[in-house]
Amino acid sequence: MSQVIAGEDVYAIAQDIFASMVDGDVGTIVPWEGPPPGWQEPVTAWVDLQGDWAGRASLTTETSTAHALARALLGFGEDEPVERADLVDAFGEVVNVVGGNVKSLLETTGSLGLPQVADVDPGLPGGLVLSEMVLAWHGRALELVVRAVL
Amino acid sequence: MIRVLVADDSRVMRQIVIRTLRQAGYDWEVREAADGAQALEAVRADEPDVVLSDWNMPEMNGIDLLRSLRAEGFSTPFGFVTSEGSDEMRALAEREGALFLIVKPFTAETFRDAIEPVLA
Repeated sequence: MSQVIAGEDVYAIAQDIFASMVDGDVGTIVPWEGPPPGWQEPVTAWVDLQGDWAGRASLTTETSTAHALARALLGFGEDEPVERADLVDAFGEVVNVVGGNVKSLLETTGSLGLPQVADVDPGLPGGLVLSEMVLAWHGRALELVVRAVL
Repeated sequence: MIRVLVADDSRVMRQIVIRTLRQAGYDWEVREAADGAQALEAVRADEPDVVLSDWNMPEMNGIDLLRSLRAEGFSTPFGFVTSEGSDEMRALAEREGALFLIVKPFTAETFRDAIEPVLA
């Protein structure tokens, strides 16, 4: 274990989550190809790591993609509507699992906060980006960022 | 039929846990609790055969739920299903009397591997 987070480790965590929790199949999330996405109606979920190692894992995507993700997690049909509470719960839980797995990579005795979800990424003052990647899930873009607070 | 109490503050995650139990072949009777405090009340009201609990929850977290149950004399078999699986947490869970700790994300096979030895 270390105090450094490698991008490949974060990517492996994302692959595990989507294979186990979301799609039940491997290989459904891959690096995004092409220019970075310009968000139209974004939604961001984040979870903070607190204690001797402080930082944040955050996930941003289009609201429509978060709806699709929530439908997949809840086992809903393709056109089934998703309540805002379910969207917040589902999208927040994905980043919560990311954060928990990131914390497991670190030599820290700190704690994991509860996931938060908002339409606007609040940013993280003093945050240093350790890993930043845009992933494609069934052709839809998701940006996954891990920051440390120095 | 085995009766399980699933405690997690995420409704989505509770559904995933319940779905995974079924996929793993455990056709158990399920009750749900949205945090540790609700879970404690649910056990006091009607003790289940097993508790599957998240660790990080509002009101009362999973480890405090386990401690409260043991302090009140409940020896209900207890397992964690949590997004963190550090050595420190595993050691603490074991010390407090948890039978296993399943780390999210999980599969039906993960559930079987953790639960089967306990049921045997």
